[in-house]
Amino acid sequence: MRILKSIFAHPSGRIGGAIVLVYLVIALCGAFGLTPHDPLMQYRIDRLHGPSASYWMGTDLFGRDVLSRLMQGVGQSFTVAFFSVASATIVGTVLGLTAAWYGKRWDTVLMRLMDVLLAFPAILLALLVVTIVGPGTWTSVAAIGIVYTPIFTRVVRGPALSLKTRDFVDAARTFGSSRTYILTRHLLLNLVAPLTVQVTLALAWALLTEAGLSFLGLGTQPPAASLGLMLSDSRNLMEQAPWLLAFPALAIMLSILGFNLLGDALRDILDPKTRRA
Amino acid sequence: MNYLIRRLAAFPLVLIGVSVVVFVAIRLVPGDSITAMLGTEAGLLTPQQRQSLATYFGIDQPWIVQYWRWFTGLFSGDLGISVTYGKPVLTVILERFPLTLELALLSMLIALAIGVPAGVYAATRNERPADLGVRIVAMIGQSTPSFVVGLILIYLLSVGFGVLPTMGAFTPLWQDPLQNLSQMILPAFTLGCAFAASVTRVSRSAMLDVLSDDYVRTARAKGVPERKVIWRHALPNALVPVVTLSGIEFGYLLGGAVIVEQIFALPGLGRMVLEAILQRDYALVQGAVLFIAFNFMIVNLLVDLAYAVLDPRIRLEGR
Amino acid sequence: MTSKFRGLLGLTTAAMLGVSALVTQADAATLRMAWAQDATGLDPHKQTAFSSLRLLELIYEPLVRLDADLKIVPGIAQSWEFSADGKELTFKLDPKAKFQNGDAVTSADVKASFERILDEQTGAANRANYLSIEGIEAPDAGTVVFKLKQPDAPILTAMTDTNSSIVPASEIAAGTIGTKAVGSGPFKLERWDPNSKEVLVANKDWAGGPTGVEGIEISVLPDESAILAAMRTGQVDFALLNDPLIATLVPNEAKLQLNRAPVLAYHVLQLNPARKPMNELAVRQAISCAVDRQAVLDTASLGEGKVTGPLTMPVYASDPDSLFCYKRDVEKAKKLMADAGFADGFTATVIAATGEPPTAASEAQVLQSQLAEIGVKLDIKMMELNVYVDTWLKGDFDMAVALNGGRPDPYTMYNRYWTKNGNLQQVSNFADDTLDTLLQQGRAETDPDKRKVIFADFEKQLAEKSPWVWLYTSYGYTAQQKNVQGFVPMPTGSLYSLGKVTLQQ
Repeated sequence: MRILKSIFAHPSGRIGGAIVLVYLVIALCGAFGLTPHDPLMQYRIDRLHGPSASYWMGTDLFGRDVLSRLMQGVGQSFTVAFFSVASATIVGTVLGLTAAWYGKRWDTVLMRLMDVLLAFPAILLALLVVTIVGPGTWTSVAAIGIVYTPIFTRVVRGPALSLKTRDFVDAARTFGSSRTYILTRHLLLNLVAPLTVQVTLALAWALLTEAGLSFLGLGTQPPAASLGLMLSDSRNLMEQAPWLLAFPALAIMLSILGFNLLGDALRDILDPKTRRA
Repeated sequence: MNYLIRRLAAFPLVLIGVSVVVFVAIRLVPGDSITAMLGTEAGLLTPQQRQSLATYFGIDQPWIVQYWRWFTGLFSGDLGISVTYGKPVLTVILERFPLTLELALLSMLIALAIGVPAGVYAATRNERPADLGVRIVAMIGQSTPSFVVGLILIYLLSVGFGVLPTMGAFTPLWQDPLQNLSQMILPAFTLGCAFAASVTRVSRSAMLDVLSDDYVRTARAKGVPERKVIWRHALPNALVPVVTLSGIEFGYLLGGAVIVEQIFALPGLGRMVLEAILQRDYALVQGAVLFIAFNFMIVNLLVDLAYAVLDPRIRLEGR
Repeated sequence: MTSKFRGLLGLTTAAMLGVSALVTQADAATLRMAWAQDATGLDPHKQTAFSSLRLLELIYEPLVRLDADLKIVPGIAQSWEFSADGKELTFKLDPKAKFQNGDAVTSADVKASFERILDEQTGAANRANYLSIEGIEAPDAGTVVFKLKQPDAPILTAMTDTNSSIVPASEIAAGTIGTKAVGSGPFKLERWDPNSKEVLVANKDWAGGPTGVEGIEISVLPDESAILAAMRTGQVDFALLNDPLIATLVPNEAKLQLNRAPVLAYHVLQLNPARKPMNELAVRQAISCAVDRQAVLDTASLGEGKVTGPLTMPVYASDPDSLFCYKRDVEKAKKLMADAGFADGFTATVIAATGEPPTAASEAQVLQSQLAEIGVKLDIKMMELNVYVDTWLKGDFDMAVALNGGRPDPYTMYNRYWTKNGNLQQVSNFADDTLDTLLQQGRAETDPDKRKVIFADFEKQLAEKSPWVWLYTSYGYTAQQKNVQGFVPMPTGSLYSLGKVTLQQ
């Protein structure tokens, strides 16, 4: 509750939070079919119509309502972003914590492994994953998740290492607390702040990466819509139907903007090191 | 020193890891060099024909043999022969690398030239309308996918103004610098845009931090002109995080900018790897990814070292 | 954007880029060309990619070639004739024909070239078309005789293919085919940076010469909207376009001209008759009846093309309206589905390649919505081209959206799929006595009129048995500045006439 209040008090948190909230509502509507039209319905007579009273954002090549597809697309893009970041966070956190806790060989092996993944050019790593498994929602999730896992591992390991040597952890250990208890209760709890910030920013990046993958034709599968796919479908129609490019582009910019603003606010609020007096 | 040695010692291990991953991954992808060359016509080949093509492409042996052959070649600087280019992989990579390097440097230059002054300016106008304006623009810049910027730039310039930097038929810098720059300016700007946004944000917040430091307050109290306080006293220290950020970004850019290269038809490393994956040019994919990973690690090491030099408070051992 | 800002921006950019405009104006006798996909290799016998052929046909020449009406005209050979029993084919070579290394093209080169194609070790793409060749004789330097096991009418058409180009015997012996391009065509390849550019210079020794331009510089611009942008600003004289969405924008520009030629390649929905329930004739027919081909064409290609039956070459093609269910009939489709016991429909997966052709994803989506009306639920699976090819070759799909290449001769075009021992049986998964017999008859028949009758029957049968649902043929597009003169668009997509193209100042 307190955190919500501080977000609301922070100017960019207010804006970012509002944007993200609006998007969540849109995404839910899109996911549950609460759209002005059926996003898959092809109204063939109305192909490539500009924005009008019945199609607020116009129609696409197939005569499908762009607004409805945009809503579904937001749902889709958010699903990919959410699940990929969630999996990267969970896997990254577990790996980072255990690396910090057990140290020695395990730490070395894990971190070298993460170095291997980090040294790969991100988009090419995602691309390889997608070409091997074949594109689809869950492939995108996996691909983006794999790219971000090492980042989370590092984010967690660093602070966890320094926390491990702190007095309260030593104290807990001498009191005979179980390993799991210490790991979750003491270490994880203290890592919530940097993680939250990282998650918010990673969401913004995941949205961008999803768009990039779809742009190369390797993301969401038609006829479903995602913001990236709508963008890439529209690029050769940019001149005949600029609305096809404009609305998804705006939607993607705004969503990333929202997460970036919120991330900034959270960093100011939660991360005492960068907090200014 | 100890730290440096440990970091360097890890290099070969990580590189071997990278090479194994890429070696296996590229072979797990369905299709091979033969289907890449012949397309659906590959179905017309007799088993005998297929076999002789497999020998030609060097994919007739078991994976482990192929890997060993490739791996042992590394020690004599032989990364194999690219089947698409018909040249040694290293030659192909080194032909493409100057462009990628130039693009990375140019876009960094653009980003820094825009980002640092904008960030400093915003910091001096903290929380006033000008500051908010800069921050909003930076935020938007950071939130726009580079391919959207690129596509819109091309469209506006060619349709709106009838001018466009030369596309394709890339001219290397040393052949004709002006021609080369006119080709590079748009893609560099496209890449630089998003990066300028992060530079702005980082330099702004770093500047704010520094401006609240004691030594700056002292300088101000001593009556040093505000201009001098900002540019001479505060800026050098505020630049530390900017250097780090630029270094990391530079490391990424050296891996090639796939989408921007694609849109602007630049024969850089990123597009080369993409094409090599699509054409199943195994040797080239392996060599290029290894090359990119190596550069990335070197640049990161240098960034860490630079960080330690610029900011003595940081102890490398702990990181 | 305010007009003031617009003007300012325009001015700065113009100043910034003015230099480059001057540089590119300098040598106007070179044709500046662009395409989105680059050639993938230089071996004329092995390369089958569309873009590779477009490059290689400027460098190499076959014995005979096709003109714009698909009639066979002289290439390296000046004249040719079949013996009375159809088992001997004799060529007289053009005495002026010279390779770019200065050597004359002789019967020894022709013999060596065909022996290379026939050698299994080579992996030549066109080998399957020449299996009736029993021996090749070269009685003198200017004469070549092909001895055939049986009469083979389509063999002459097969010889028009760039994949049957004549290469120097000396280069074969040296093993340099594929690394060095030495042909007898209008242009010499001076430089090739794969996926970046090609530099071609005029071949002064070309027998058909002289060429109209001093050279061609080809740039690879992977994004077709960038090609259009480059043409608008006058940086490119001539370009190859694939995407009808981009091509249709060209006529809007006063300076530019769009060339369209109907091509032989066909867009098709391949069904896999080896899989249930596509093994049922009624189900396949139902699908054929439920598809509105014109609507697929209108939506996916903006109407750029023509609905087609299986045969796409004008000489043999029947009127599509005369074929089975080419008028959409949903009621009939539903009845057929019910007859086959699938009144409630079924679910199937359709594969398509990303961007190849650019319309593939769109076609799949239109087909999906059309077939939904008879209860057939399609899941679309887009694949990277190479993955698609691999899957396609294994016949590992329920249905596939494809753009398959066409040939000027019906037998060469379809024997691979619809004869019982066709090399692509595992893709078509459909062996049928009638189709097999008709193709064999058509192959042996040398009288053109009788061949037409045979293949008309073949086409009718094929449409009715509906192993595939043929959709439409599109256009091959090239775009040019209006000062480019003399280009003749070809149904094969060939750019060979670039040899005669001139640039008007």
